[in-house]
Amino acid sequence: MDSNIIAQMAVSGALMGLVYALIAYGFQLTFATSKSINFGQGELVMLSAFFSLTLLDLGVPYWLMVPGGLLFGVAMGLVVERACVRLSLEQKSEGWILLTIIFGLLGFSAAENIWGRDDRPFPTPISSEALHIFGINITPVEISVAIGVCAIMGIVELFKRKTLLGKAFEAVSADRDAAELMGISATRTIMLSYGLSGMVAAMAGILISPITTVGPTMASALILKAFSVAVVAGLDSGFGVVIIGIFIGGLESLTSYYLGSGWREAPGLLMLILALAIRPNGVFGKASIRKV
Amino acid sequence: MKKSLICTLLLGFFTNPVFSAETIKIALTGPFSGGSAPMGTSMRDGAKLAIAEINAAGGIAVSGKKKKIEIIERDDEGKNERGALIGQELASMDDLSGVIGTVNTGVALAGDKHLQEKGITKIITPAAGSASMTQWSKAGVKDLSIFRFAADDSIQSAMVVEEAVNQKFTKVAIINDSTNYGVSGHDDLVNQIKKQGNKLEVVATEKFNIGDKDMTSQLLSAKSKGAQAILIWGIGPELAAVSNGMAKLEMKMPLIGGWTLSMSNYIDNSGKNGNGTLMPQTFIEEAITPKAKSFIEGYHKTYNVTRIPSPVSAAQGYDAVYIFAAAIKQAQSDDTHKIKEALEDLHDPVKGVIETWKHPFSKWDPANEQTHEAFRRDNAVMGKVLDGHVVFANESERQRLIKNASK
Repeated sequence: MDSNIIAQMAVSGALMGLVYALIAYGFQLTFATSKSINFGQGELVMLSAFFSLTLLDLGVPYWLMVPGGLLFGVAMGLVVERACVRLSLEQKSEGWILLTIIFGLLGFSAAENIWGRDDRPFPTPISSEALHIFGINITPVEISVAIGVCAIMGIVELFKRKTLLGKAFEAVSADRDAAELMGISATRTIMLSYGLSGMVAAMAGILISPITTVGPTMASALILKAFSVAVVAGLDSGFGVVIIGIFIGGLESLTSYYLGSGWREAPGLLMLILALAIRPNGVFGKASIRKV
Repeated sequence: MKKSLICTLLLGFFTNPVFSAETIKIALTGPFSGGSAPMGTSMRDGAKLAIAEINAAGGIAVSGKKKKIEIIERDDEGKNERGALIGQELASMDDLSGVIGTVNTGVALAGDKHLQEKGITKIITPAAGSASMTQWSKAGVKDLSIFRFAADDSIQSAMVVEEAVNQKFTKVAIINDSTNYGVSGHDDLVNQIKKQGNKLEVVATEKFNIGDKDMTSQLLSAKSKGAQAILIWGIGPELAAVSNGMAKLEMKMPLIGGWTLSMSNYIDNSGKNGNGTLMPQTFIEEAITPKAKSFIEGYHKTYNVTRIPSPVSAAQGYDAVYIFAAAIKQAQSDDTHKIKEALEDLHDPVKGVIETWKHPFSKWDPANEQTHEAFRRDNAVMGKVLDGHVVFANESERQRLIKNASK
């Protein structure tokens, strides 16, 4: 009985952890190319979820809605880049921090005004009847989250490694100035990274909505955790976020069970503090060595 | 330019009092947007329905002259700081007859002190948290202008515990959210268990935060410790997450909790997993009496819906307006202080949709906040979620209400 409970808890926690990891991955993509991150990433998740829900309400079938939602995410990512990030990067200022936060607030208000402030169910063709696997109850919706997270991250990583555009992406991440000298447009690459980041956010929105419901505040709890995961893993750790995400998610569940549910948030935040104090580059991050 | 400005100012000065004397101003406040919006808008729309009926009949006779009711609407968004601002604004209006509304206990705590300072009469509905009235008894206020028209949490928690005891459960888990509302609900439940003879053993006490969606660990803890029922205090969306989590873990025990389990965002987001959930209600959307029938039909028609988002809030808003109107009529004045005195001693019964209210309030006694509470245990029934609607959980209670109405 007891080992079953632990397994159940670890699996449920790990699933939430995968979602943290996917949002954290969105932070990573833009950080790699531009050393900037979108603090309004949570709002992108929410806006894309609302947009996808609207598509479904308009009668668009689920499987067509997914690419539609992803495209919307890409567009939003590009808007963030153009409106909040590009100018401040050109001026070598840190203005993007404030601007992306403001963009997030704007998105939040817009969502409240367009879609209202109620939490709404997100219909999905995937069943939420529990399946029994080795004594653990897990729903197909949850499995779809796990598969979806791994798939989208895998596709983006493949794209980065196998295509010419992806190699440009990697080049700008490694050394922006050298890449520019080789004729790679850093501006274009940063745009690409924001577009990809927006797409990842949209994917996260579509995947978790059936579980979390859709509402303006749907991502506000997730985003803090995702940020912890990104920092603990390291902002350039690649798949490291998955390991840390699963770890923090599982730890949260177990802490909540053994210490009481009031302690649920503690492990993630503790790890964030520890990581910042001991390994500021993250567990899987590379120490930044700058050749002069 | 300057001249015209002075002229406008002077004009405003003279026309204002004349204009205000034509109508009775009542403010409706509540969250018309945000997570509590189903309750806020239902309350407002129920109240407006009553006001429209009163105005259609010519208004209320005040010292021989019929006056119509003018509505002042303020959206507090369920935020305490907005509640405080609105409280200040309303308190500064000289010709305001009274205020009806407030859904969130925190908002009542933040805003009502401004109204009480100026002695402006307010009927709180449908906020149920005990603190919005006990704050005045604790402060030992001698003269109170705040009334409540809702089944407060002590009544509700008593009913929840009663239900668990009646179903012969001995082990329960208490799960609540970490807001003021959830924590005080938890305390009320624990007190009630003690009061009703400690027949229930609380095997697990768990919490969740607003925005939490994964309740697995809380539920597993309840399950593994052998809880036979889950007593819960929280707000719609998170309650739905609990209900969906229970379905996933195949926990078949009943979920019993505060009236928020009847919120549309609980019912919609839990879907079929919400079936069987039990909660105290003051009004069930079923046309069991002619009055209820006309009210429900009127609401559906006026607002073009097939289901009232929060029937309890709508009915309470509706009845609160009629009680307020009765007080104006009895006081023969739209002066808020005189209305307060009339409310404390209403002579004539007021026919409402929940029931016929006989002397709902009495003179404020700081030692007993029940003097300004309209609802007693008998005014509430157990409701049950069934396929997207809240229905009577017990046929006997339904019959009781029908019998009361025909008396």
